[in-house]
Amino acid sequence: MIYRPLCAILLALLISACASDPAPTEQLRLTEQALTQAQALGVTAGQSAPLRQAEEKLAQAQAAMQDTDYKQARIYAEQAELDARLAEAQHLTAKSQQQLAELSSRINRLRRQLGGLQ
Amino acid sequence: MKHALKWLLLAITAATLTACASHSDSEQALAAAQISYQKVKEDPDVLRSAAKDLIRAGESLAKAERLSSYWGSADDVAHYAYLSQRYSEIAGQKSALNLHQERAVKLELERQRLQLALREAKLLSVQEQSNWLEEQMVSLATTQSERGLVMTLGDVLFDAGRADLKASANRTVLKLVQFLQLNPRRVVRIEGYTDSRGEVQENLELSRARAQAVADVLIDLGIEAKRIEVQGHGDSFPVTENASEKGRAQNRRVEIVFSDEQGHLGSER
Repeated sequence: MIYRPLCAILLALLISACASDPAPTEQLRLTEQALTQAQALGVTAGQSAPLRQAEEKLAQAQAAMQDTDYKQARIYAEQAELDARLAEAQHLTAKSQQQLAELSSRINRLRRQLGGLQ
Repeated sequence: MKHALKWLLLAITAATLTACASHSDSEQALAAAQISYQKVKEDPDVLRSAAKDLIRAGESLAKAERLSSYWGSADDVAHYAYLSQRYSEIAGQKSALNLHQERAVKLELERQRLQLALREAKLLSVQEQSNWLEEQMVSLATTQSERGLVMTLGDVLFDAGRADLKASANRTVLKLVQFLQLNPRRVVRIEGYTDSRGEVQENLELSRARAQAVADVLIDLGIEAKRIEVQGHGDSFPVTENASEKGRAQNRRVEIVFSDEQGHLGSER
């Protein structure tokens, strides 16, 4: 008798685990967009671990879609989207850092020249 | 029957749990996400430049924490912990980017200020140099009240009876060019003179040819032709008596008359 509630819980768990999620087509579109955006900046899987992860997970998400494992597809796609966004953010930050270094060196050059004239 | 049911339940429970990521993995992911979130959430710069990502990091983390108290949801815990971690990292990057951009704006202003200062300093030094050159030119030349500033190139700069300038004139000519380049509004009149020996017509031609030779060199060195006037005066206007060889040598000369800084030349002879 005491097993009955536990039974119900487990059954519910099983059902929820196996319940078919809706196909995450919108999420996949978002992920592809994020990945394209990062790749358009010239970020490659060779330079950026997050970008490589994004590419791998997108492929896995697409494979899961083929198997109609929509839950797994959504998980991969969501993670891949953020991987791609991180890759993009890292790229932009590194670029701005370079820009700062360039500006600093130009300023130093100007200061040296000014010093030479005085 | 009861035993059978018990075992079945156990088996199902085990299957449910193993299907998911191990509990300790998800706990680790959750702890890592919590640390990442702590780091960025207190940072006012992150709040300022990446509030959206910060909020999402917090929301995903809360979800992961809530799920971690349920059985059999280790996969979801790990997933939301992962998302939270990524949002925190993205927020950190965006904040750094924003700080860099703000700093770049300041540095760019500084760079422009320095560039302006350098340009002014260079201009000043050119002006100083130009003043110095002007003094030099004045020291080479003499002022004749009605004609303005006049510089004399002596007979020794030409071969006898020839119009070609000797190489020894180079220094003087270069100085002249530099002076004219630094004083772009000034113009010159180049006047040739001879001594009284020889035919009047030949003397006129020779004096004009010598003046033209000086003008040609100036033009070759980049002075615009329209800034240069050329005249031959032959043996007119001697500076001294033609009686002695020394006097005649002094009368064989080319004079360069400078305009004032506005480009006005003194009247012609």
